Amino acid sequence: MLDAFSRAVVSADASTKCIGGDDLASLKGFIAEGNRRLDAVNAIASNASCMVSDAIAGMICENQGLIQAGGNCYPNRRMAACLRDGEIILRYVTYALLAGDASVLEDRCLNGLKETYSALGVPATSTARAVQIMKAQAAAHIKDQPSESFAGARLRKMGSIVTEDRCASLVAEASSYFDRVIAALS
Amino acid sequence: MKSVVTTVVTAADAAGRFPSTSDLESVQGSLQRAAARLEAAEKLAGNIDAVAQEAYDACIRKYSYLNNAGEANSTDTFKAKCLRDIKHYMRLINYCLVVGGTGPLDEWGIAGQREVYRALNLPTAPYVEALSFARNRGCAPRDLSAQALTEYNALLDYVINSLS
Repeated sequence: MLDAFSRAVVSADASTKCIGGDDLASLKGFIAEGNRRLDAVNAIASNASCMVSDAIAGMICENQGLIQAGGNCYPNRRMAACLRDGEIILRYVTYALLAGDASVLEDRCLNGLKETYSALGVPATSTARAVQIMKAQAAAHIKDQPSESFAGARLRKMGSIVTEDRCASLVAEASSYFDRVIAALS
Repeated sequence: MKSVVTTVVTAADAAGRFPSTSDLESVQGSLQRAAARLEAAEKLAGNIDAVAQEAYDACIRKYSYLNNAGEANSTDTFKAKCLRDIKHYMRLINYCLVVGGTGPLDEWGIAGQREVYRALNLPTAPYVEALSFARNRGCAPRDLSAQALTEYNALLDYVINSLS
């Protein structure tokens, strides 16, 4: 498993050169924005169970066949497995966001996931849809700009706005990890 | 590669939980120290040739018998290899300063080091002398800030310990 720093080390070692100049500048940026990253991770971790259940519920709303007899979420047991898998995927995305590198997500979650799901008969399109919903939720939580029209009385904000750009770079980074999950499933 | 972040993630993953507040707190702690480490890494990367050359010269000064025929520093090829070795350690120290742990030194420098030097019939004392010279050569605030020097010296001490 690598983080942003060890990723720089591994790529520098491949050409046996020291880390200086541009590589260090980007790592300094990582440190300077470290608190934003930790807040983003906290925003996802603190809302994880809500995000997962909403994503799975949304996926089912769009495809009612999943909870009818023969559907992949039909008995409670399979619905529970579905919720658990949603949480696992979100957890590894959170780890990747904390580390600033996708290796933990790739090695420990996505490697062989597609093969496992096709062997178990889990529909990849539905899974990808749930991940897509989590991607939108994560972006909203990191931006701390939840949709008032959708949330209504359940609107929940993490705090007041701290950064002007609402952590746009972290939103993009988190989205890229979700995109990796979707790409690995399809 | 072991670092604070990977240690935290490994522990959280083993327990199957999301990163907790205390996990984030320890990552925050390592980020706070990172500025000094990166300063040391930057200075070392910029001066690595001079640092390695000085350390190499110091160890040959102390162990001048190494220049005798048949010894480890006798030919131009051997001299270049000795200097390269010192520079190799300095590069790994640069990596460790970036990562914030001893992972690169452990994995790429220290693992198997004793066996290699024994197989090649190389003495370790000159390495210790070269690194000790570098260890005592750095000066704050002339070369780098006090905290950065502490981080740099701590890693040199770590390598010296592994060789002695």
